[in-house]
Amino acid sequence: MESTQRTVMEALLVPSGMEDPTDRTDRFELIAAAGPAELADLANAVLETGPKLSIRQEPRPQLLLSQVREPVERRPFNLGEAVATPAEVTLDGARGFAMVPGKAERAALSGAIVDAAVAGDHPVADEATERLSAVGERDREQRRQEWARTRHTAVDFRTMEDQQ
Amino acid sequence: MGYVAVTAGEEIIERAEDLFEKQRTSGEDEDIGIDQLDSQLGRVIGQAMSEAGLYAPRLAALAVKQAQGDTVEAAFLLRAYRSTLERFDDPVTADPGEMITTRRVSPAFKDVPGDQLLGPTKDYTQRLLDFDLLSGDPDDPTADWDPDDAGEPERLTNVMDLLRAENLVPDPDPPTDDDPTDTTRESVTHPPDRDAVLQELARGETGAVTALGYSALRGYGQVHPTLAEVRVGDLPVRITHPYTDEPATVCHATVTESEAVVPVFEKRDDPQFAFGYGLTFGRNERKAVGMTILDASIQLDGSDEPAEDAEFVLDTIDGMESFGFIEHLKLPHYVTFQSILDRIRAIRERNGLSSGGRVARAERDDVDSPREPPVAEVSDDD
Repeated sequence: MESTQRTVMEALLVPSGMEDPTDRTDRFELIAAAGPAELADLANAVLETGPKLSIRQEPRPQLLLSQVREPVERRPFNLGEAVATPAEVTLDGARGFAMVPGKAERAALSGAIVDAAVAGDHPVADEATERLSAVGERDREQRRQEWARTRHTAVDFRTMEDQQ
Repeated sequence: MGYVAVTAGEEIIERAEDLFEKQRTSGEDEDIGIDQLDSQLGRVIGQAMSEAGLYAPRLAALAVKQAQGDTVEAAFLLRAYRSTLERFDDPVTADPGEMITTRRVSPAFKDVPGDQLLGPTKDYTQRLLDFDLLSGDPDDPTADWDPDDAGEPERLTNVMDLLRAENLVPDPDPPTDDDPTDTTRESVTHPPDRDAVLQELARGETGAVTALGYSALRGYGQVHPTLAEVRVGDLPVRITHPYTDEPATVCHATVTESEAVVPVFEKRDDPQFAFGYGLTFGRNERKAVGMTILDASIQLDGSDEPAEDAEFVLDTIDGMESFGFIEHLKLPHYVTFQSILDRIRAIRERNGLSSGGRVARAERDDVDSPREPPVAEVSDDD
């Protein structure tokens, strides 16, 4: 993932392709990729400590425009929309925002709580960053395995003029 | 369209709906789960999402289940649900080159950079029923594979870029960041901009897109393309993060992409390729290729062939519209039909045919008033 605002030092600290859960944008992506059960576990751990929580944006499904630049004329067009559920909270004064794919209100709210917990250095923050890192590692490994299987079907077509 | 309201017992309509639902649940088999549908009938789910223009695999699986496998009905349910949602601002335009590829073949170039990657496909195999599936054998046929570590997924070179490097396709105009037309919010006007054409084709009904594309190949058009490449993969859907203003990935949408080149020799001193492009949600190569042919055909801006007439194509490919118009014919038309009956009876009476049997020719010739020519009746709701 490229970031226009990240510093050179941060880029050096995070190997290419690895998400850093302490970085807000990376954390957003890791929360979006996490499963609802993982997010619920972490959010429950945060809430068990009795923080002051207020919901700034109720989790409600919304549409994300999927806009694509077609590669011939380089013209953008609307491929369609994707459903995602955003939520925003304040947790002990720290803001948290999350968006998860599909219609997933509980996961979105859990994600926003986790985001705020890490942003506000909540006691559960270390566990959250550790588990979000594991989500990134799991996804990366799945992508590598799928790519390896795809490469395993690379074919060299041969023309048959000589056999005619 | 002028509809006339009819009333019927609401309870009876609910009974009919209950009977429809009973068809799905009346067997002794276990209820099929959403996750099962999503993972095992991915093509159907993909088709419903594609025709709805809405990427939401679990909701699409629910829609397919509710529609008992009717993909157009499922797409209708998804579009109806979509109409209840707000849209999040700040989309980030994706480049198809970012796609995490799971399949890429180039019919144009044998030795394409990045290789021909067959991926998961039944192409090149015989279409024979696999009776082993009757026993529900869950074995993974790739369990014995030990593929080499290929590292991180590569960004594959686009075949169109190879052609452009040789000046075989025209250089595009400078990129524009103008907001493209959104046909879900603005009516398509003719002649349509190409971005509107692409959006409408992307959510067209698979059978209609395939059939109209096929018509061009069967001689009702001038486009017989060579596919530069067909690709399947996962494309990021991003927003601008509200706190950091950075692009952030929310999910990856499985898409199918197709590019075609069509030789044009209008400029004898500088012959180049025209092109067509197709991209749609889900794994649906048939539709993506059909879309590619239609994109190339519509750019010819002809009116003699159906596939080259943008208005004809865009008026007929949308599944919701064709589904709605065709199926509405089943709804009560009692008033309009009564009007047609009245008129036909009046004409018959005026021509002396009201008693039932046909009048003799000689008798009919005595009628002073000229006979009206036959007129095709059109229902006033059509």
